[in-house]
Amino acid sequence: MDDLLADFVAETREMLEASGEEIVAWEADPSDKARLDTIFRFVHTVKGNCGFFDFPRLERLSHAAEDALADCRAGRREPDRVLVSAVLAIMDRIGQMNDAIEAGEDYPAGGDDALIDALQPDAGGAGAEEKSCAEPGDAEDGAARPSRVTAVQRSIRLPVDLLDEVMKGVSDMVLARNDLARRLREAGEQPTIDGPFERLSAILADVRGATTRMRMQRLEHLFGALPRLVRDLAHELGKEVVVEFEGGDVELDREMVEMVRDPLTHIIRNAIDHGIEPPDKRREADKRPAGLLKFAARQSGNRISLAISDDGRGIDIDRLEAKALAAGVYTRAELTRMDERQKRLLIFEPGLSTADSVSSVSGRGVGMDVVRANIEKVGGSIDVFSQPGEGTTFYLQLPLTLSIMPALTVESQGRLYALPRSYIEEIVFARSRDVELARAGERQLLTFRNRRVPCIALAHVLAGSETERVEWPETTLVLIRLATDEIFALAVDRVHDHEDVVVKPIPPAIMETGIYAGTTLLDDGRPMMLLDVPNIARDCGMLDDLRARPESAVEEESTAPVRPTVPVMLFTGLDRRRRAVRLDLVQRIDTVEPEAIDIEGARAQVVIDDRLFALAGHEDGPLPEGRCRLLRLSDGTSELALIVAEVLDAREVDEDMGAGGRDRRYAGVALLEGRPVPVVDAHRLFAEHGNPASAEPAPAFKANAL
Amino acid sequence: MTQSLLLCLIAERRIAFPAVKVRSVIEIERITPIPRTAPHIAGITALRSQALTVIDSRVALGFESSGDPTGSRAAVVDHEGHAYALLVDEAFDVTAALGEPERVPGGFGEAWTEAAIGMVETASGPALLIAIEQLIAGHRAGSLSESLPVRV
Repeated sequence: MDDLLADFVAETREMLEASGEEIVAWEADPSDKARLDTIFRFVHTVKGNCGFFDFPRLERLSHAAEDALADCRAGRREPDRVLVSAVLAIMDRIGQMNDAIEAGEDYPAGGDDALIDALQPDAGGAGAEEKSCAEPGDAEDGAARPSRVTAVQRSIRLPVDLLDEVMKGVSDMVLARNDLARRLREAGEQPTIDGPFERLSAILADVRGATTRMRMQRLEHLFGALPRLVRDLAHELGKEVVVEFEGGDVELDREMVEMVRDPLTHIIRNAIDHGIEPPDKRREADKRPAGLLKFAARQSGNRISLAISDDGRGIDIDRLEAKALAAGVYTRAELTRMDERQKRLLIFEPGLSTADSVSSVSGRGVGMDVVRANIEKVGGSIDVFSQPGEGTTFYLQLPLTLSIMPALTVESQGRLYALPRSYIEEIVFARSRDVELARAGERQLLTFRNRRVPCIALAHVLAGSETERVEWPETTLVLIRLATDEIFALAVDRVHDHEDVVVKPIPPAIMETGIYAGTTLLDDGRPMMLLDVPNIARDCGMLDDLRARPESAVEEESTAPVRPTVPVMLFTGLDRRRRAVRLDLVQRIDTVEPEAIDIEGARAQVVIDDRLFALAGHEDGPLPEGRCRLLRLSDGTSELALIVAEVLDAREVDEDMGAGGRDRRYAGVALLEGRPVPVVDAHRLFAEHGNPASAEPAPAFKANAL
Repeated sequence: MTQSLLLCLIAERRIAFPAVKVRSVIEIERITPIPRTAPHIAGITALRSQALTVIDSRVALGFESSGDPTGSRAAVVDHEGHAYALLVDEAFDVTAALGEPERVPGGFGEAWTEAAIGMVETASGPALLIAIEQLIAGHRAGSLSESLPVRV
């Protein structure tokens, strides 16, 4: 009997969720028969089910709604907004009672009559037609036979704990497999064992994939509840909002879905309350009276990006600034130094809200700062882009699952540590020519692309003191961008690899050091600590330091959306390795016959269109047979031809890509889909090979020409 | 009611862990030290696919560490959802306690006062029954930390 009751509760909830979208659609077009039928089936099923159990109030409510809807179906009554609202109210009450039944509580008595009265045709005063139809449903009982509409379910319900346990087991199995793989490698080749082991590995990979999918939920589940939420909020605030979805089939770890539900709700509240204008204001601004709220989800690699955009009035930067000043979060001087993006990001500061009056919708003390904190807690990030008068877009980046995290392994004093990849902006080698090290008092600074960035050494963090000498020029600097947009460099001995790691919690005794967030096992079975980046930054005073220091960053790319990126041309060199070169340097792609190339000792030249160009890139490997592809590069003063095996694609990479380090041929290493792609230092090429395009003498090397 | 005990040697003293709390006895193969942790936390090691926090029992009790724990024996225990490996000088058999843990007049000495639940008799002689949570907490770990060699 208890199982039956649980099924009843679950089924009712499922149908409520499913019909949320339907009823909004029905309201938009009350004459839509199909929607009407769906909603009718819901109340009808609830009523039917109540017969099995002793829930007189539920039965009465659903019966009343069923009657009213049956009248509409029979054409005895025209559905109108008043009726829709009344039915909605009843559905809400059914939902609440359902929750109470599940919790084993008694739902407070009373209020049912008012809800039922509201269903009467004359309840709203408007749209009342015939009154003779109030006969409680007798006539209709024949037509609406108690047919169970739910199809046979080809699925089962499982407790989430069980799923988690299975997931954990599979993760452990993968680690055990890795351990075994290492031992097998050490033992040398053993054909009788290696074959079955390969098979086991493949099966395990499949099982892991399937278990991950088990926990996946289509975003539709999240989206399904939103039209109703938007409708209610818009109603309350006297606005009109149309909702649009894209990418509902994108799947996300169900736990992650739960984690973003609240932040998303808050963003929606904000958008409707502050963003979208009332219909009359929108008309004045030459917009459609109904605002558009758009949700677009996309999967890229092992991350999901979710964009929530409205076409409202945009973020009022001036107001934000004024609030920040008034709240004492920033000084006037600090504000004037901020670029547009930094100012926009003020919206995530605690205690700032642009709403003057606290409405019941937003401004409940939960701010965008909490939204950001919650998104970050699950390893995601949030950004905002806004155009005054045209709208605001929030970009959420979310990892697919909670337990597997993309990480960068770095080495300090012979030991490996993992850094969550989401914080890493770029990797710079201190030796690189683009980098200048400077000191201010005891603080080591890094000047990179006209920006002074404070450095901390991981060795110092790990030692807990700064006594040990660090050979800064020997280090590799990992530029870390915190959620607050502040940047600092973490000096490590070496950068190893990108890996997806399974993160496990650490005991309190290790937690209290404040520099570790978890532990993980390397493929060879060695444990490795995951560093707690925000905590380390706070410990080292990076947050305050950055805020207090005079901003020396160059104002640039402030209008660039999301993250500043730079276009590059991706190619494979003659050695078949992937590389990239800045797209703005590429004049054109040439194809020449092999005869056009002339290499003699240190001199390498190519003839293109009867002009002689210096040739670069031929040292990487043998010249291709047949025609050769060339990238003709120019920095405005010099030109040269870079020979490549294949031109791949034009792509966008993060603007602040790191310097290429000990290999002087590269200006930096960009990350594309998590794979490092060295970016050719074209200026060095020009300095070495370039011949002036014009009659001017060869230009001096310009360190920061870009 | 008597209990099963795992008999071990820590700092040349016979001690006992309640056998029900010990999952297994392992030999530390490889250990990753964790900078900035309390001195009695020797590092982490992997048991199959699980990470274990290695507790240097000698240090936790206020004795001097016997150095690199690689190759040492350790008792694997679970405590509050986390797994620990408690380093011991030697691990002997599991044996039955011949009586309840008892206090002895004059105490067990400074190092053992907090960590010892009491003395238990076994067939092979008396042993100190150790409270695992006290070792993990390592209350006395700081007492010798000045003189401890800094392990890097």
